[in-house]
Amino acid sequence: MTRIEPFQCVASNERERLRPSRFFRCPFAGYYLRRSIGIACICLVFLGSVNSVAGSGPSRGLDADEKKPSPVAKSDKESSEKKKDEDEKKKKEKEEDRYLAVIGGTVHTVTGSVHHGVTILTKNGKIVEIAEKVALPEGAETLDASGNHVYPGLVAVDSGGLLSGSSPGDSTNVYSLQMAIALAGGITTVASGNSAGKLTFGSVDDLVVKRDLFHKLSYDAASPKERYELRQKFEKVRQYIRELESYDEEKKLDPDAEEPDKEWLDGEYKKLLKLLRREVTASIAANSASEILAVCELATRYGFDLIVRGAVEGWTVAPQMARAGVSAIVSPRRRVRSDDRLNRPNGSTIENARIMHDHGVPIAIIPANTSITLWGLAGRDLLHLNMEAAFAVRGGLSDDAALRSITIDAARLLGIDHRVGSIEVGKDADFAITDGPILHYMTHTRWAVVNGRIAYDKQKDTLYNHIRPNGDMDAPPPDDYWPRSLGDSQ
Amino acid sequence: MSYPYPSHSGISRRNARGFLLLAFVVALTWRGSAAMAEPTKAGQFAILAGKVITMDADDTIINNAVVLVRDGKIERVGKRREFEIPDGYRVIHAEDKWLVPGIIDCHNHTAGSLVDLNDMVYLTNPGLRTLDTIVPGTKWLEEARAGGVTTVLLIPGSGTNMSGFGTITKLAGKTVDEMVVRSPGSLKIAQAGNPEWYWFGVGRSYMNYNTRQTLMKAKNYHESWTAYEKGEAPKAPTYDPIFHDFRGLFGRMYPASVHTQIYQVVMTTVDMLARKLKIRTVLDHSTFDGFKVAPQVLKTEAYTINGPRQYWFDYTSRKMHGNAARWWQGGVRKLGINTDAPVVPQEELPYQAAMACWYGWLPYPALRGVTRIPAEALVVDDRTGSIEPGKDADFGVWTGDPIDPRSSCELTVINGKIAYDAKAKRVF
Repeated sequence: MTRIEPFQCVASNERERLRPSRFFRCPFAGYYLRRSIGIACICLVFLGSVNSVAGSGPSRGLDADEKKPSPVAKSDKESSEKKKDEDEKKKKEKEEDRYLAVIGGTVHTVTGSVHHGVTILTKNGKIVEIAEKVALPEGAETLDASGNHVYPGLVAVDSGGLLSGSSPGDSTNVYSLQMAIALAGGITTVASGNSAGKLTFGSVDDLVVKRDLFHKLSYDAASPKERYELRQKFEKVRQYIRELESYDEEKKLDPDAEEPDKEWLDGEYKKLLKLLRREVTASIAANSASEILAVCELATRYGFDLIVRGAVEGWTVAPQMARAGVSAIVSPRRRVRSDDRLNRPNGSTIENARIMHDHGVPIAIIPANTSITLWGLAGRDLLHLNMEAAFAVRGGLSDDAALRSITIDAARLLGIDHRVGSIEVGKDADFAITDGPILHYMTHTRWAVVNGRIAYDKQKDTLYNHIRPNGDMDAPPPDDYWPRSLGDSQ
Repeated sequence: MSYPYPSHSGISRRNARGFLLLAFVVALTWRGSAAMAEPTKAGQFAILAGKVITMDADDTIINNAVVLVRDGKIERVGKRREFEIPDGYRVIHAEDKWLVPGIIDCHNHTAGSLVDLNDMVYLTNPGLRTLDTIVPGTKWLEEARAGGVTTVLLIPGSGTNMSGFGTITKLAGKTVDEMVVRSPGSLKIAQAGNPEWYWFGVGRSYMNYNTRQTLMKAKNYHESWTAYEKGEAPKAPTYDPIFHDFRGLFGRMYPASVHTQIYQVVMTTVDMLARKLKIRTVLDHSTFDGFKVAPQVLKTEAYTINGPRQYWFDYTSRKMHGNAARWWQGGVRKLGINTDAPVVPQEELPYQAAMACWYGWLPYPALRGVTRIPAEALVVDDRTGSIEPGKDADFGVWTGDPIDPRSSCELTVINGKIAYDAKAKRVF
């Protein structure tokens, strides 16, 4: 198990002792050090690749596999044996079941009712029981959530800088500051690039939830050619599906029937085929009413699942969106003014989310800025995903619907609602345990639980532990009231 | 956790809308037909509010209250059961809503033409005024009103150390004259942290020297006029349009709005302007680790108006410091919040206060920090900033706690006139 304890607050004097010496604190020293290390790494990689190409020269080609196992292969074998051992070790560890019980909170299941003072028992990262009285297995970790609210971990349908883009399972930094901050916002699952993953702070286990979330398409009004070409491709794929169907019928009568030509069926076409078979969902950015209508028409004509990103003027064409069966990802606070010069007679409204929701368009809410920022402007980035939903409430959406738009409805949009987005037996043990109602502006996440592990503990982490510790409104400033960056403690 | 005042009121929005009657539509009956006979007079109305946050000196909050408005001013505030509404007053029902003083922003750039944000002629430009750039009736203002904002200080940018005099404007009115509360509203000084980029670059020593020289010249000008007015000097000094506006500054009639942030810079501001030159000082921004200057600020009469940044990440201790909370913990009570619109949209000023609370501040002081405190800081508290008889009728009617983003402003009244009505057209 690759479990490492999450970030612990180091006592201030000890931290001071651990800091690098004065020279290395010089910003230029850091800069040149990093630079030179970077350059050295590049040189090493370059030399290494030259070496390996030169060294493996003779064994390359068709006859390579006939040769005796090379030393490299041998060491591979050794390492694979080692890996086997490790795997077995891991398996043994896995056999010891891991329990976490969240006790005594007000549990908002989202898909069901709100329960007061119940216990949620989780086993190996899954919820196994929700009841008033639960027999705790021996060695179960417990988390006393009494006085707090337990919500399913929030789901962000888009994010930047939290998971590594192309291959989140392999190269995500599970100790990143951004990840800790997102957890402090109650977020446990994010979509990033084309994958959905968990914010498994301090652990690389079970990070990836789903790959290939969407097939992103572009259907831009500014480029009629692009639109035409996309429609042509759809036509071709639809024709192929029809031919395939008739081929299946023909084959029953004539075993020698000719299979439809599919040599062209590659790349983009393959993706479109999946789309028309409804194996994946398309996602298209469309904001103005005319753009939205165009993509709705496209989805209706060829029959595929579609998510409209943006949908700023969605409120003006909500019935058409509902009829086309599309979903929408919206930022309620986003302001786009009406402008007749740009063929945009209506613009945005704070009621956008509410109107679309009332017409039956499934919506997920996301702030306009989907990354975690550190430069001081508050409440405008992913950390305050809940506040973006609160702005939808301002526009008339109910509290319940707003909560759903950042939990179960968001999960459904990503196609991962069988695992996350609500508190139900069998689903993943992802919770945001907060010290108040999640749509209130003073609510902090006290704990974030991901895959049945406590990934964020407000009082243990240093980021926000000084803010109303344990709900104390008049808490005195912490000992390190004066920040150290200007040399106060020297 | 218990909050100092109740959180989101939870009143159903649809019902709420039903209650709210339009200002220009119905002459309302109140308690039967007696009031029917008496026609309502223009400019007179009574609002029945579920809760009035008066923001007066005693921090009075009145539940089930009536606010009488007459000729643009607040005539009377009191409990509903304490007095009868006189005849001739149109009644506006908001029994399930909060009535809150108009939101005031000390740091705005959107009430004027934004392209004229900053005339960077010299490193200090003492003669300029934003009064000349005000544009009434823009979408910016409409949106701001929809957020319950009634008064802003339009100031020039921070590209130079002294970019001119700002203007305090109400957000309603068709002409500049209708809008302006006071011009000059305040002198904009940018202590550091932007003017460095002027020309080929200047450092803090020269910037402070230059700012100080300009202020000293202005002070001399003011003093020579004062001496003449007192009869101490025989001859009137030569009128100087560049420095004449400074007379009000040194006469403490209006403040200097100082773009200042970072420990050392805020310290310089407090020392140079508030302590030595003894001018009314408003520490705008006051972000990053500026809050370390709290002890020095407490020795002066300076106001701290924090924003648009609401937190500062101290990476050495891995802590997110809420700026407003830190100032508050340092004992500073003359503490408010700004948006620096359009950096943060003007209508989101209450949301800025909400974020200050998320980072550790308290809701009531935060609401005071966007109403009464800015009014005091700008020396317009005789006219606005609270719901008290005799003051301008500037207020918002909200569906609940105004700094909760879930609450919306349903009605904004400026100078006793309805300036925004969500029922007619919802903007925010």
